[in-house]
Amino acid sequence: MEFTLLLFLAATIVMLAAWRSSRVLALGLYAAVMVACVATYLHHATDTLKLSF
Amino acid sequence: MTQTRAITLNALSLYAVALVLAAAFAAQLLLHELPCPLCLLQRILFAMLAIGPILNIRFGPRPSHYALSLLTAVAGAVASTRQVLLHIMPGDAGYGSALLGYHYYTWALIGFIAAIVLLAAVLLFDRQFEDDGAALPPTGGLFAQAAVWLVIGLTSLNVISTLLECGFGACADNPVVYELLKRF
Repeated sequence: MEFTLLLFLAATIVMLAAWRSSRVLALGLYAAVMVACVATYLHHATDTLKLSF
Repeated sequence: MTQTRAITLNALSLYAVALVLAAAFAAQLLLHELPCPLCLLQRILFAMLAIGPILNIRFGPRPSHYALSLLTAVAGAVASTRQVLLHIMPGDAGYGSALLGYHYYTWALIGFIAAIVLLAAVLLFDRQFEDDGAALPPTGGLFAQAAVWLVIGLTSLNVISTLLECGFGACADNPVVYELLKRF
């Protein structure tokens, strides 16, 4: 399954946890989603930049 | 700035995030421009900006809640800078259409930088972190509650939209059709 889809789903769950559940749980989930976002970014950062100096 | 005013300001920031997410949806649905994977990542990071304000409304303003939004805004600025650089060469038409002369990822970069500056400015007001004795409801009132559910609703719609666009496979680098709808 595409990672981006899971990230949106995870972001929704973090928001619901922040609103309905405990603060500690929301902070933990936030950290996990941010790590996943950085991993997704690094995956896309392997694209070649078309720069010439 | 009192705690009550800070919570109102946090609710307003949620409406701003909702506006960005709604504008992205409008471009996708009205102009039939499907977001690329890097565009979707920037959208996710805009949605993640909302977590700090939600925590501030629910548990009261704390510097750590603002720190979450600051970290997210920096990550968003990095991702949108990356996409600006991908299309920086002269002659590159860029990805998607432009709005007021700038592509959406350029607007995203401006938005994330504005968020960093605004968050730093709000953190200057120490009185918001002291209990002002106002009888605030635990969920910040109807104005704030509506803002929270609006952002959660728009993020949920993005789950459905991404499922339709990418299906259960990897999102295309330059998507032109909804992969899941193509199968039917």
